[in-house]
Amino acid sequence: MRYWFNLLYKTQGKRIFNGVLLAFITAFSGVSLLMLSGWFITATALAGLSISAGLIIIFDMYMPGSGIRFFALSRTVGRYVERLYNHDTILRLVSVFRLHLFKRLSALPMQQLRATTDSEWLSRLTADLDALDSLLLRFTIPPIISILLIISAAIFVSFIWPELALYLAGFLLFCAISAITLTIKCTKKLGIRSASLLNDMRADVIEHLSGRLELKSHKLLQHHERHILKRLDELDDTQASMFSRIANIQLLLDFLMVAGLSVLTIVVLYSVQIQVIDGAVAVMLVLMFLGLTEVLQSLPSQFSAWGKTYFSAQRLRPENDNVTAIKEPNKYPAKSLTITLNKHPNIAISQIKPLDVVLNENELLLISGRSGAGKSTLANILTGMTDCTEIKRSITSIVVDGKAQSVDLGVANRYPSIGYVTQSNSVLTGTLAYNLSLGLGDISEDKLWTVLQMVELDAWAHKLKNGMDTWLGDTGDQISGGQARRVTLARLLLRDPKLVVLDEPFNGIDALMAARIWHNIFSWLKQRTVVLLSHERPAYLPTDVVIQQVRLD
Amino acid sequence: MLSDDKKRPAKQAFLTGRALLNHFASDKKQVLWLSVIAGTLATFFLAMQWISFAWLVEDVIIDQHSFTHQPEWLILFICSAIGRVVSTRLQTMFGQNASIAIRSNIRKKLLFLWRQQSPLSSHLHSPAAAATQWVEDIESMDGYFSKYWPQQMLAFISPLIILCVVAWLNWLCAVLLLISAPLIPLFMILVGMGAEQLNQKYSLIRQRLAGHFLNRVANLTTIKLLHAEQAVFGEVEAASDSYRKIITKTLRVAFLSSTVLEFFTSVAIASLAIYIGFSLYGAINWGPASSITLFSGLLILILAPEFFQPLRNLSQYYHDKAAALGAANNLLEVFNEEPKQQSEDQVFTETKTDAKLKQITDKQNITPFPNQQPLLNIHNLAIGYSPDSVLAEDINLQVKGGQLLAITGESGAGKSTLLYTLADYLKPLKGNVVTFPGKQMPIAYLPQRPWLKNASVLSNLEEFAPNATQEQMRETLIELGLKEIFGKSHNGLNTMIGEHGQGFSGGQLQRLALARVMLNPTAIILLDEPTAKLDLISKEYIYSALKKLKSNAIVVVATHDLALLDIADVHLDLNQREGVEGAVLV
Repeated sequence: MRYWFNLLYKTQGKRIFNGVLLAFITAFSGVSLLMLSGWFITATALAGLSISAGLIIIFDMYMPGSGIRFFALSRTVGRYVERLYNHDTILRLVSVFRLHLFKRLSALPMQQLRATTDSEWLSRLTADLDALDSLLLRFTIPPIISILLIISAAIFVSFIWPELALYLAGFLLFCAISAITLTIKCTKKLGIRSASLLNDMRADVIEHLSGRLELKSHKLLQHHERHILKRLDELDDTQASMFSRIANIQLLLDFLMVAGLSVLTIVVLYSVQIQVIDGAVAVMLVLMFLGLTEVLQSLPSQFSAWGKTYFSAQRLRPENDNVTAIKEPNKYPAKSLTITLNKHPNIAISQIKPLDVVLNENELLLISGRSGAGKSTLANILTGMTDCTEIKRSITSIVVDGKAQSVDLGVANRYPSIGYVTQSNSVLTGTLAYNLSLGLGDISEDKLWTVLQMVELDAWAHKLKNGMDTWLGDTGDQISGGQARRVTLARLLLRDPKLVVLDEPFNGIDALMAARIWHNIFSWLKQRTVVLLSHERPAYLPTDVVIQQVRLD
Repeated sequence: MLSDDKKRPAKQAFLTGRALLNHFASDKKQVLWLSVIAGTLATFFLAMQWISFAWLVEDVIIDQHSFTHQPEWLILFICSAIGRVVSTRLQTMFGQNASIAIRSNIRKKLLFLWRQQSPLSSHLHSPAAAATQWVEDIESMDGYFSKYWPQQMLAFISPLIILCVVAWLNWLCAVLLLISAPLIPLFMILVGMGAEQLNQKYSLIRQRLAGHFLNRVANLTTIKLLHAEQAVFGEVEAASDSYRKIITKTLRVAFLSSTVLEFFTSVAIASLAIYIGFSLYGAINWGPASSITLFSGLLILILAPEFFQPLRNLSQYYHDKAAALGAANNLLEVFNEEPKQQSEDQVFTETKTDAKLKQITDKQNITPFPNQQPLLNIHNLAIGYSPDSVLAEDINLQVKGGQLLAITGESGAGKSTLLYTLADYLKPLKGNVVTFPGKQMPIAYLPQRPWLKNASVLSNLEEFAPNATQEQMRETLIELGLKEIFGKSHNGLNTMIGEHGQGFSGGQLQRLALARVMLNPTAIILLDEPTAKLDLISKEYIYSALKKLKSNAIVVVATHDLALLDIADVHLDLNQREGVEGAVLV
């Protein structure tokens, strides 16, 4: 949490200062309005009495009157401006945090990225960042305002009665500080628990709904809900006990305030009686205490968010991610590259003997093997998706254009750009055009149609009501698996990678169509180094195509 | 479908989010009213407290008595202060208890609806967005139930009590307060209407933002491979920024309503203070001014802000209300969708306890099918997502237990759609599907990308086959060629499956999913591309598994794998359906 506090003060220091100032003006005006009004009517009552008793008294009615009007106005305006200003500050900050975090995320190596489940990332990005606004709105402004008000009240009272000022300030500071510390101490754990329960439940619900098709068919949805319901019960209990603790602390604070008010009332009334202070001042002091009470009263509920915020800050803390800089890839592609693997845990064959994989410029390499033999693992190594440390363990040598190179560098950076069609189709939420042209900036629509034609999606796309602007759903459910596969292929064809790795590119596409598409894209593939992963020599591959083959069986 | 004829009480349609909130609030009305009563008591004690205070002040300052002159006033002052504090504590407690119970109810109801409705419903398209609704949106209703609802009543009751006290002291001041009071709700309504609309938009945008983020994060690998990071950063920034702008806009209006109140409070205190001051001084003589004493003057001054306080609280809770309404409006879509089927509902009616649930699950396993053979009869069927785009029509066929139906066709021809229709997730556009056993009995459906939990192999299997023994699981996995799970590099049934199926190849995941069906076979089994990602050897395992499965069930397979046709008994080619009258017996 300290990290975020620091960041908050560093980046928004000036806005915080202004915000606190505005908030102080507002609170100060409120207390002053009450004090001045109380003093005014008591003083006029006393003056009125004296006048009716026949004494001549000079009493300025207009000064306090305009003071009252001034405070009334400054309180109203101050409140509005202050709230708007501070909320804007926090939203700016959250917006910056959000992008910052997303950038850090995308700098992570792929493997590390997948280690954290997606639903958790989501909750990080939105809910956790939103929770951080408490840092300013709850944990910075209210305590500072309370303390500033207590101090200014004490200074004011010290002109009238220094001893009372000391006791008053001591008592109020004690109340404020103990309310804050007690709230944090008693509710932090429960707050963290309830935040983490909500977070777990979100993951549960996402999982529950992702499995709805299968669970529903088996009529097991209700059975599966038990995981969620168990957590829900725990959440109810946690929240109930947290709420009751907060309310009890509030009750305690209120009691202290009642005690303070009672003592103060007795003291000032007694003082009036023995004529230490006059009646107007006595009323003013009581009303001042009343005004301060109102400000202090909000502290427990403000600080009850400590646990929740702590939970979010903790999960967002930067030590969690260990960002490695992405190395600049080589400008010129390797003409030939040999990589030797030895005893890779996921590639069974390399455990028997070292495995050589040779990539020659503009040649087609087929890597075949049954499922589980390690095809995708190998593809991940070739495309640089695997963690560097893992590469080091199982790669014994990399030879580029006849020269041995450090294993640490991996293979991927030997090519200026790599095209990789993974086994799963990733269709992003967005339009068809967006999905095709992602990251390419401006691109003519003709080019998009050309590639769609190559993968035989043009007829389908023409039939769509919105054409290129058709929205592809979150789960890509609106298009079939085979169509999604072809979208990812078309996406690749728009780019100019030097190394192309195709992991079962025609999954879910029937053999005839696969052969036609292969024919369409062959001239594009011919100009690149291509690695094709398949169970066996695929049927769509014309018999006359010369290929290198690595068998993993 | 007999079950459909049994009319349940007409399902309530909620026209607005407000109706929905009220419906759920009414379940806990007693507790909420207790909160209101405690709040009323607090106001009563507050009046008592300041009456005794003002009396003490008058007694000591004006009449110059000792403050112990009549100690009962001092005692009353302290006691009523304590009474007020305790009543406030009770008010909070009742409100919060009600809120917890109500939110829990809404969550359970939502789960129930999700269970009832078609899994293809549009609001389930993004599980992340739906989860946000379930977690965050419903959480954001807390303030509405615990604070806003009771305060709605108190905003009327409390000022009335204060007004009575003020009227008793000085009718002119009471009239002043009374005049300003109705203006406030008026302003609040005007301001509130705008804020409500904005808040709805805000809630929707937040949900979309969540969906957008999850989607981009899930596809981060693709984004990195396409070197599109910069473009997506821009997108993320734009999304966060528009989020900020919309919230600020909401707040600008939401804060305005509290500012109006703030203004009235300030003006009321200021003008009352001046009126009272001048009257006491003797500068004003008309009306009831002459009757004002320090007692009544001070009391009115202190009570004036308290007159507005309940309304101020209400406006402070206003964005709780707006947030709750926005959230409720988002839920309307789910709550108002016609229940698709009562299928599971029927099976599990009245099953509140785990024991009973277990019993029923057991029953399912023991008697998946009675003596009669399973049957699937498709008559004149037309399928598609909407009547405008019919994917395939005039499908007629009949399949019996022991038969395997293979559906082929080009990608996009409607194979998956047909499976959805058979699974009853999608209503036929025309014609009908009749099955035996009926639709309320479990079937098995396996999509192209099977769903596997981020958990151990064991709990994945157990989820679908609660009664299978570990030995059976082991046998089935080995039967499907997944021996390596029990090998050195894995951890047997305790091997973990990651969210993206980490540690397993696509083919292995497919077979794991099929293992679940084999461990708990149903009368009708629907498989979407079960062999798409498999090599020849794995395919052989699947073929023999399918042969075994179909021995006493109907197996329907959508596939591109022509080799599967060898074990198919009925073949439906969606591309050649014209002229061949649907199905061909192989």
